[in-house]
Amino acid sequence: MQDNSEPKNIERRRFIRNGMQLALAGTLVGVAALSVKKTRASGMVWQIDPFKCVQCGRCATECVRMPSAVKCVHAYNLCGYCDLCGGYLKPDPNARSTAAENQLCPTAAIQRRFIEDPFYEYVIDENLCIGCAKCVAGCTSFGNGSLHLQIRHNLCKNCNECAIARVCPAEAISRIPADKPYQIKGGFRKTPAKDKG
Amino acid sequence: MKRKHINIILVILALAIVFIIGKDFIGNKAGKNMDNPYKLDVDQFKKIDSTTVLYNEIKTFQVNDSSPKGIAVAGKQILVLTEKQLIRYDYSGKELSRFELPDTANCIAPVTKDQIWIGMLHSVASFDANGKLLTRWKNFDENSVITSLAVSGKTVYVADAGNRIVYQCNTNGEILSKIGEKNEQKGVPGYIIPSPCFDLALDDNGFLWVANTGRHSLENYNHDGSLRTAWGESSVKIDGFIGCCNPAQFAILPDNSFVTAEKGIPRIKLYDQHGVLQGIVAAPQLFDNGWYAPDLAIDVNQRILALDFDRKQVRIFEKNVNGNK
Repeated sequence: MQDNSEPKNIERRRFIRNGMQLALAGTLVGVAALSVKKTRASGMVWQIDPFKCVQCGRCATECVRMPSAVKCVHAYNLCGYCDLCGGYLKPDPNARSTAAENQLCPTAAIQRRFIEDPFYEYVIDENLCIGCAKCVAGCTSFGNGSLHLQIRHNLCKNCNECAIARVCPAEAISRIPADKPYQIKGGFRKTPAKDKG
Repeated sequence: MKRKHINIILVILALAIVFIIGKDFIGNKAGKNMDNPYKLDVDQFKKIDSTTVLYNEIKTFQVNDSSPKGIAVAGKQILVLTEKQLIRYDYSGKELSRFELPDTANCIAPVTKDQIWIGMLHSVASFDANGKLLTRWKNFDENSVITSLAVSGKTVYVADAGNRIVYQCNTNGEILSKIGEKNEQKGVPGYIIPSPCFDLALDDNGFLWVANTGRHSLENYNHDGSLRTAWGESSVKIDGFIGCCNPAQFAILPDNSFVTAEKGIPRIKLYDQHGVLQGIVAAPQLFDNGWYAPDLAIDVNQRILALDFDRKQVRIFEKNVNGNK
């Protein structure tokens, strides 16, 4: 009886040991594969969904690039080319002029160009833009929402974990396919269309 | 005893870890509640003096449709236009009937003599009280966006935001004249319409008023299309109009005073016939956001009906005691 029970215990121990080793190896391989996939993330880039953005200012302060890789972009097909532009001028400006005291942008990154009476074109100077979204808030609150933020991929380091995405209160930043790296308003729409003005 | 103490310490540590993780999870990750050094404080412009509020909201009911477009009053019934249907409600909010529309609808004219005029995207149609199609014109081009209608006798005024023009038509759809084209001899500055917010209405004398939203003014026209008068001021202050396109909606009371609805900072205000602010009908705090100005209608008791596009509600406002003084 004793002779029979001893080999049985050995078999059980060996089985458990082999099982543990296999499980450990499998876990290690799985974790390694996932890590490699996540680290490389080739074909994916970070981008802002302009319909989720709440203009919190974190894009200006949290990006590892200085100034931020996030810039304001302008969907011209949505713009009203207004003289009284909510994205360019402070609310209740002294005059509708290019004077610094009337400009909403803290770095004067928006250029106002006369087209014809009474229409003006607004162009972003990306060298000056810090991605603070102050103009986006003004345009969204008082205008058509044609000004919005995008991550510029010629500037973005495409970090493994985006420093802005980590603190974005609206969770508006996510990875999207690199073959469609921008989500420009006008051509891009995630929310159901609301045509009523 | 020693082991017991160790266990207690371990339990306390475990609880502390759970608390910290939980707090971080609820707070949506560290750093998400930081102040914004670049904040544009729009809320400061929403503050109003409560003594200037002249109206109370007396009734609200939900619209049974996801895409309301316009509101009108027909006797004791409220008509709510949606993208595909016209729905009739009584004043309690009970749905009485509904009928399908032949195309995507955009606006509805104040109802006269049981004939209902509806502006589609590129066409105008009229229906009888039972929803039978009486007439339909398709003589507008593909750029047209019909945003408002008004009917006076055999004349129909059509606001086209796409072409930035008002058409004066007969009831057969023939365009008799175009109103609002820039004309220095007639003193007409031309319309600036940055977005599809382009409303019009007729006053008690049958004269046409048009919201030139890019200029923040209400313009009054003679029947020949010449400009009679205009009023309106661009300002974030309560007596002015703010944003790119306001007043986005308006209606005229029988005493020729004006009710205006704005987007950006959503608010409904009352002006006298000369454009002097009388008070507030609905304060910004009553609305969710300012993406869409509510459509307006006036009933026989001079109550103001607002169609709230965000909440998808009909909201009825009545003058309060303060307002009646």
